[in-house]
Amino acid sequence: RHPVLFRAPPVNLYLVSAGNRRWNSSSKEEKPSDPKLADYKVSLSESCVKRLQEIMDKGEYLRIRVEGGGCSGFQYKFSIDSTRNEEDRLFEQGGVGIIVDEQSLEFVKGSMVDFSEELIRSSFQVLRNPQAEHGCSCGSSFSVKL
Amino acid sequence: VSKRKLLPTRAALTLTPSAVSKIKHLLQNKPEYIGLRVGVRTRGCNGLSYTLNYIKEKEETADEEVLQDGVRVFIEKKAQLTLLGTEMDYVETKLASEFVFNNPNIKGMCGCGESFSV
Repeated sequence: RHPVLFRAPPVNLYLVSAGNRRWNSSSKEEKPSDPKLADYKVSLSESCVKRLQEIMDKGEYLRIRVEGGGCSGFQYKFSIDSTRNEEDRLFEQGGVGIIVDEQSLEFVKGSMVDFSEELIRSSFQVLRNPQAEHGCSCGSSFSVKL
Repeated sequence: VSKRKLLPTRAALTLTPSAVSKIKHLLQNKPEYIGLRVGVRTRGCNGLSYTLNYIKEKEETADEEVLQDGVRVFIEKKAQLTLLGTEMDYVETKLASEFVFNNPNIKGMCGCGESFSV
């Protein structure tokens, strides 16, 4: 019995992975840019949307920029901007939007922007950044996974 | 008892008008709390960071009480030395609002302004 049980899983796994690979490659041929675009996304938390609805005037966006600096190498900068440049990507939700320039997007893609309210401080924060290895306690500075 | 210890007469912590009004506003609808308690925690990239909490009653007798313009702020015993002479300010912008501690004792600070060393 044992040898059979041992041998069976690898065969199954191989079949599944081979099937996956074939499916992936065929879907890539059809829509080459789709999965890539989905990766380059920044999401907004509920509290972030709510806060932006409160403070933003029409035509204003929250701009996120990543700059060198801070104790961990890189840091997030938030500002309010009403001009959207060509290289900016816009992420909209609930009538409000965040703009991120292409360069910064490389560092924040896949993460979530949140507005955290605490007694000592309330501010916008970037959460769950897949590119960030470990950050500062404040969450404004981070280092990049290599 | 030949030598008496001289105690500093200045307040351990001073509050700016904006901090006073913010604390008043925070405590307005919360009669169960008597004030705020400032502490430090070993945390952050520069060693220490501030904490701020509501308190219901003066739990620890070692806490230093600062009474200014009708608001009460308590300072944790551990934080008294590091906070001595600090000015507590409240800064509010569209993007962020926070209590800022202008501490004359600090040697280094993190870029974010949250963590510091004494």
